[in-house]
Amino acid sequence: MAVESNVIDAAGPYDRAKALSAFKLGDVTFYWITRLSAISVLLILGGIIISLIVGAFPAIKEFGISFLWTQRWAPSADPPVLGALGPIYGTLVTSFIAMLIAIPVGLGIAIFLTELCPQWLRRPIGMAVELLAGIPSIIYGMWGFFVLGPFLANTFQPFMISVFDGVPVLGAIFAGPPSYLSLFNAALILAIMVLPFITSISVDVFKTVPPVLKEAAYGVGCTTWEVVRSVVIPYTRVGIIGGVMLALGRALGETMAVTFIIGNSFRISSSIFAPGTTISAAIASEFAESDGLHQSGLILLGLLLFVLTFFVLAAARLMLMRLETKAGK
Amino acid sequence: MSEMSVSVSAPTVHPGSQPLPEAPAKVTARNLNFYYGEHHALKNINLALGTNRVTAFIGPSGCGKSTLLRIFNRMYDLYPGQRATGQLLLDQTNILDPKLDLNLLRARVGMVFQKPTPFPMTIYENIAFGIRLYEKISKSEMDGRVEKALRGGALWNEVKDKLNASGLSLSGGQQQRLCIARTVAVRPEVILFDEPCSALDPISTAKVEELIQELSENYTIAIVTHNMQQAARVSDKTAFMYLGELIEFDDTSKIFTSPTDRRTQDYITGRFG
Repeated sequence: MAVESNVIDAAGPYDRAKALSAFKLGDVTFYWITRLSAISVLLILGGIIISLIVGAFPAIKEFGISFLWTQRWAPSADPPVLGALGPIYGTLVTSFIAMLIAIPVGLGIAIFLTELCPQWLRRPIGMAVELLAGIPSIIYGMWGFFVLGPFLANTFQPFMISVFDGVPVLGAIFAGPPSYLSLFNAALILAIMVLPFITSISVDVFKTVPPVLKEAAYGVGCTTWEVVRSVVIPYTRVGIIGGVMLALGRALGETMAVTFIIGNSFRISSSIFAPGTTISAAIASEFAESDGLHQSGLILLGLLLFVLTFFVLAAARLMLMRLETKAGK
Repeated sequence: MSEMSVSVSAPTVHPGSQPLPEAPAKVTARNLNFYYGEHHALKNINLALGTNRVTAFIGPSGCGKSTLLRIFNRMYDLYPGQRATGQLLLDQTNILDPKLDLNLLRARVGMVFQKPTPFPMTIYENIAFGIRLYEKISKSEMDGRVEKALRGGALWNEVKDKLNASGLSLSGGQQQRLCIARTVAVRPEVILFDEPCSALDPISTAKVEELIQELSENYTIAIVTHNMQQAARVSDKTAFMYLGELIEFDDTSKIFTSPTDRRTQDYITGRFG
């Protein structure tokens, strides 16, 4: 308001310093608002870590470091025995299998959409992928329970057993009695859930590749596959890895759908078709009726998930830096 | 308006440049038309690029120079809705044949772009990449080919100690010469330059021009440029294009000293464009 021309005219000769001073308060306010917003992130993060540590303290004192490699989870035993190995194993295995499936499929969709897809098919597929991200996780859980679980138990697992029976390591991975609830079921659902993250981020970064760079690659005689492999993916690898990390973060922490279909068994089985549990699923299914040391143990599980996610992200950063040195930055 | 003003302001043709004898045609266009969807961008182009000669294409922006260049290696094929009609021959091969193997065509007709386009990999890999697409050769042989290509691109002395650095770490001029080396490495027959110096400083420009002259001993070269001095310096023949038509095509010395068409004369003297 203060800088509208008639106001300046009324104030006599044009005073630039005065006109600018009207902005000063705004600038200061703006600076502090943004600064406080940024600081609040640190505060919230710190608060969460502290309250997790405080809540987990009784369990840390009771079980110590052996919490990490104890498989037994018996909160009602006397004295209670709590070990996190089962949930940690389940979390890592389901996320690993989920990424193993989702990365190639997600990248494949993104490459098809940006490089090969005829124009008229682009929107339907793109929208279907986005819709996939909008489905609530409980619906994935139900679908996994009623549709995917029976299919896996009755058709897929017997098939895998018949193929790999007697093969040393692979045989054990697919062995065991059929169960609707299993690590593999959870991993498949996770893969479907994180697919849109990988695909939509990859599509976005693929679009940032300058057309002339692709033309240059076609210009030395590359096929589309060679252009994608040698130019598009290296050019966008930072973005792709970012998308994969986002997906991995989601997979590690996903709770509802996984709780529904993983079976909540703390026992570790060599078979991926056996029931298991993940950290978040264990917390979700037991927290409501826990107290005392049991609850503290669950909070400690939460703290572990936090640390685990942090390490996974740190490892990803490290990998990225390695990649960049290798590419000769 | 008068002959006088032409000779004063027209760029000077490089000294001692007698028009070279007529060379056999490497690329021949007959009644070539090009369409961006409905838009008729090139109209009845007839010309021939002489073997181991440099042909420059000049004309105001949007006249179709780059479009023409992009037909020579079918680059337009990447985009839907763009099509060419007429006849375009590389030696006896019909470039417009829809069944033509585009990867092989592009190996025979290399292209250097307006902006340097090093691939996101090391300097060595930038060169080796293109070679590997067509040939399986040993490491030592590849080292030799890379060195030869980098020497061909007049870049070897500047990068021989940092072949494993990223291609993107080079300066703009070096990047452009890397791209030329990369194109040469595939052993094409024709090299297309699409305003290769427009993003470069004068010294880099001079180096690239020198390089183009050297390359013309072994390659047929087509260059699009907005810089008329550059066309005068590097080319044997010059084509002036205007609004999608080929207005005049002749020896460079003739175009820049005594053009036949009024529009050519107006353009090279800077009266429009």
